[in-house]
Amino acid sequence: MPVPVRTKSRRRQQLEQAALYPLDWVEERTRLEDRSGLVGGVKYFLFRKVPGDISWAHTLGSASLTAFLVQAITGVILAMYYRPDPNSAYESIQHITNDVTLGWLVRGMHRWGASVFIILMFFHMARVFLFGAYKYPRELNWIVGATILLLGMFEGFTGYLLPWDQTAYWATIVGVNLQGTGPFVGPFLVNVLNGGADIGVETLSRFYAIHMLLLPGAIFALIGLHLWLVVRIGVSSQPWSPEAAGSGEPEGPKPARTGLVRTGRGGGAQ
Amino acid sequence: VTVQRRKSPRALEREAQFKQYKADVAKRGKPFYPWAMFHDTVMSLVVVCVIIALACVWYFTSGEDPEDAGLLGVRYAEPADPGTTTFVPRPDWYFYFLFYLLRIFKWPESVILGTVGIPTILIILLYALPFLDLRRERRILRRPVAVTALLLTAVSMGVLTYKGATAEEATAAGGETIDRVLADNDLPESSRQGLELYFANCSSCHTYGGEGSSNFGAPDLTDIGAQEGTNADFFKRYVSDPSQFGNTVMPKFGALGEENLQAIADFLVASKGGG
Repeated sequence: MPVPVRTKSRRRQQLEQAALYPLDWVEERTRLEDRSGLVGGVKYFLFRKVPGDISWAHTLGSASLTAFLVQAITGVILAMYYRPDPNSAYESIQHITNDVTLGWLVRGMHRWGASVFIILMFFHMARVFLFGAYKYPRELNWIVGATILLLGMFEGFTGYLLPWDQTAYWATIVGVNLQGTGPFVGPFLVNVLNGGADIGVETLSRFYAIHMLLLPGAIFALIGLHLWLVVRIGVSSQPWSPEAAGSGEPEGPKPARTGLVRTGRGGGAQ
Repeated sequence: VTVQRRKSPRALEREAQFKQYKADVAKRGKPFYPWAMFHDTVMSLVVVCVIIALACVWYFTSGEDPEDAGLLGVRYAEPADPGTTTFVPRPDWYFYFLFYLLRIFKWPESVILGTVGIPTILIILLYALPFLDLRRERRILRRPVAVTALLLTAVSMGVLTYKGATAEEATAAGGETIDRVLADNDLPESSRQGLELYFANCSSCHTYGGEGSSNFGAPDLTDIGAQEGTNADFFKRYVSDPSQFGNTVMPKFGALGEENLQAIADFLVASKGGG
């Protein structure tokens, strides 16, 4: 007697198709030849394999990303209230901090989030350095990351002027003047940053444009490239782990360990 | 026509290792979602909470007044005023190491080392790292040079940042200090106004008779009047716009006005090193 095969009912199949239709629609329009499109890409991103032994130390990169997103969101809100003009910038900062509902929280998060972002990038870089994760084939990603760090510090420099208080004003004068000591390009750089010989109306709107348009755009693009490289090449494993993928260790009984370091051939674990 | 380049043994080795890595991860790895993503999410929540906590401590321990500093400093300083200068040239904390470095180098001979030389070398080393260290070894204890370099960098950055954070700021001097400095340096009573202006505008960067703090390579002024080729007119023009004399570090003080500039110039002319 044949065993009845359980199949999905017709109605259920129709329902599933209807639910997945928008995804298929997007996939069809973003697919290139035989490569997966947007939906396939997200699926690949989520379900790609990472080394089984990665730890909390590997979360510093995504933590930096979170700090940057906090900066982006709070920055957009601040831009709705801030006025980049020497006559009203200071007043608008006071207004945001003392009058606007939760304005103090948004400005405080933006101000302190900047420091957290920089610290996390330094920690992330130290982790990559310590784990030797800048080595082949991840050299390009180290360079992209270093550029993000430098641009992030430049974000801090340009953002420092915006409150237009004494600290901001005089620190920026000295900061810009110091760049003027550079050979050949120094004086040119000062002129570009100041928008003239001295710090004034031009400087503030210039710093504002650099701070909220140019640099964040560049950082967003570089983070995209950074992540694309991580997904494409793969997350590095812990260098000392017995599971260190790619170390050429045969599977089976594990050799003896000495201290933290595993003995055995290779050491070129990826 | 394709030209086949012979690969070095190192290139062959690392390619084989990377292939092995891909195979191992495919075989023994875990999916990013939900396993690694869970850790990332927890860490991200911690980051957001820390940022909110910092904002709260900063806001609730400080007041609306620019003088009313809390645990994490003031909400804002006094409004920017190019005319008068309670000059606080203090950068954000992650530039402290550069800020402190500039106490070591002096204008005009070596200040460029601190402003351009050392930062350029650091940036070049940062970018060149993957090409300087070509060994395949990744285990920490087998990379003593790399680990020592990391520790030295971290310690020196930490020390310079700490020194920059705790660097003394010159504070406005009372009448007693003014009297003492006048007497110590054989200055005439007519130098009093200039000396007061020095403490208000110059002492954040220039030292004078052991007072003030030295920053950004600014020279000591105790015997500046004894230097060749200096006179009141020179000092006036220099202080109002140092860039005319090739000094691009010092801010312009032309906004102080004719009378104040004259007082500063007279005071500097009288500064011959004293006692």
